[in-house]
Amino acid sequence: MADLSEADRLAQETWLQRTIRRPEIGSFIVMIVIVVVLTWASNGKAFNALGLKNNIQIIAQYGIIAIGAALLMIAGEFDLSIGSMIGFAGMSMAIMLKWGLPFGLGAATPLTALLITLAMTLTLGWIIGTIVVRSGLSSFIVTLAFLFFMRGVTEVSFRLINQSTQVSGLPDFKEESWVAWVFGGEVFGWFYDAWYWIGVQFVNMGVERGDQWFTLGGNLNRRGTQWVEGFDARFLWFILIALVAYYILSRTQLGNWIYATGDNKDAARANGVPTNKVKIGLFMFTAFCATIFAACQVFENNTSDAAKGNLMELFAIAIAVVGGTLMTGGFGTVLGVVFGAITVGLVANAVFFIPAIDGAWFRVFLGAILLAAVFANERIRKRITGGI
Amino acid sequence: MAEPYLRVEKLVKRFGPFTALGGVDLEVYPGEVHALLGDNGAGKSTLIKTLAGVHQPTEGQIYIEGKPVQFRSPRDASAAGIGTVYQDLALNQLMSVTRNFFMGRELKKSFGMLDLDKMNQIAHDEMLKIGIDFSDPTQAVGTMSGGQRQTLAIARAIHFGAKVLILDEPTSALGQKQQMGVLKTIKRVRKRGDIAIIFITHNEIHSRLVGDRFSFLALGKVIGAGTSEEITDKEMRRLMSGGAEMGDLEQELAEIG
Repeated sequence: MADLSEADRLAQETWLQRTIRRPEIGSFIVMIVIVVVLTWASNGKAFNALGLKNNIQIIAQYGIIAIGAALLMIAGEFDLSIGSMIGFAGMSMAIMLKWGLPFGLGAATPLTALLITLAMTLTLGWIIGTIVVRSGLSSFIVTLAFLFFMRGVTEVSFRLINQSTQVSGLPDFKEESWVAWVFGGEVFGWFYDAWYWIGVQFVNMGVERGDQWFTLGGNLNRRGTQWVEGFDARFLWFILIALVAYYILSRTQLGNWIYATGDNKDAARANGVPTNKVKIGLFMFTAFCATIFAACQVFENNTSDAAKGNLMELFAIAIAVVGGTLMTGGFGTVLGVVFGAITVGLVANAVFFIPAIDGAWFRVFLGAILLAAVFANERIRKRITGGI
Repeated sequence: MAEPYLRVEKLVKRFGPFTALGGVDLEVYPGEVHALLGDNGAGKSTLIKTLAGVHQPTEGQIYIEGKPVQFRSPRDASAAGIGTVYQDLALNQLMSVTRNFFMGRELKKSFGMLDLDKMNQIAHDEMLKIGIDFSDPTQAVGTMSGGQRQTLAIARAIHFGAKVLILDEPTSALGQKQQMGVLKTIKRVRKRGDIAIIFITHNEIHSRLVGDRFSFLALGKVIGAGTSEEITDKEMRRLMSGGAEMGDLEQELAEIG
């Protein structure tokens, strides 16, 4: 039969071939290369106890917003307002915590400040999404408008209410409030406890402390006791958001709708996919991710200022692309974006472990890898669509 | 054939001063291929869009199994069993065969989770029924040939309850061999006996190969109709060219020089 033989022209692939053809493979290989080079160049310091904590801090920061940006890009839209949304959310929480709730509702707790801020940012996400789908305008220009608009509102609000573009010296809320602790505290302390314990056992057996770069390296203070007690709470948020996004995108009906919306909106709509709702929902999701990012910042340091989150929207988009997300929508994976966040986060931090290099090389690297990723992604797209 | 599944009576569609359809009658029976032929601008597209619920008729009535119906949206038409396979097929190239097959109508387990195993199985089986043994339904649609995509779109329409299958020029953008594949697919669907097919085409040879009944449209009107026995090849050629006698055309061409 003619049709049968045509189907047979697709060669059956082995497990290895399938793995190599996975969309994440490019970002995975780049990540491995960076990990190896960084370990070698920093003499292992990049991955000792303190190095790991610091690296994961920035990886988690990038990852949280890059996943939001990637899901939206898969559905075919951009959000340039992520950075300003971070600034706005941080301002909102810090000002409420310092000056009390609006409309004279009394003092704010971390929970009320967070919930009111979240209500505002989700509403803003909804407004942005609604404007984009109703007007049919490019999301690039609509969210660019909100980038300026919200950064301005943030600064004006700081000056009007706070007389200064910075809030500092807030009480350390995470001491008593579990809400603040969930965002600003430390998690997975058992990880460091376990390695410290193992290191001590080796010391008791006569191994030099200095020879244990991983178990004790960077994990001792001047008194010689355990120093690093856990990862930043944002690591947990990064894992949670990545797991939920992975599950939704690859295993659920909503995930199928996200891909369908970004690939060919008209085809999706003809088959009954509510493409407008999908897009509005994802604009709200990026606003949610930005708010989580801001909450971690505010509750960890008990400060905020008008410049927080600056340029973060561009990092988020760059990481999504490095992670294999197509600029034109319809294609991308959460796993790839996680690899992209690890790669970019490690390089952003590399200057702290290799003092000889100039920190600006990070941007040179990011620009180069971004361009390479765009070309690689385009090749993947052409391979899938048969060169059209 | 006792009763047509779909009957159209004196259908008129006007867009402002322009009359796109000027009183069209059409009967479509289950297990039959009704070939709808006509030149560009004859009103074929307007007719199928009206049947598919995209346009509302200005006058006239559509009957499903003898009962008058009104479609306010494509969703209404789809619920009444009218499945339209447009030329662009409404497929997403980057997505897998299965994900396209169930787009917008996914099978779910608990927590909104997709039942991918079952979906793969159904997509494979439904396509096999009308002629393609597509071994890997997780393959992206972009890797399929035009004929295979056509089959996927048809299988999808049938699986989701189409009783009338409207095929909008399914062979027009394909190579010779793939055109034959699509005609075979049409025959296999016809053989099921429960589905009425409206086959829109420019190509008289294709319509002759699979058609049981013919309607010829020109300038928004049916200028000729009949079963395959009633319509001779000569008559068909005359109707295809919009009703003008072939002899007239020959003479006109000769006059030009």
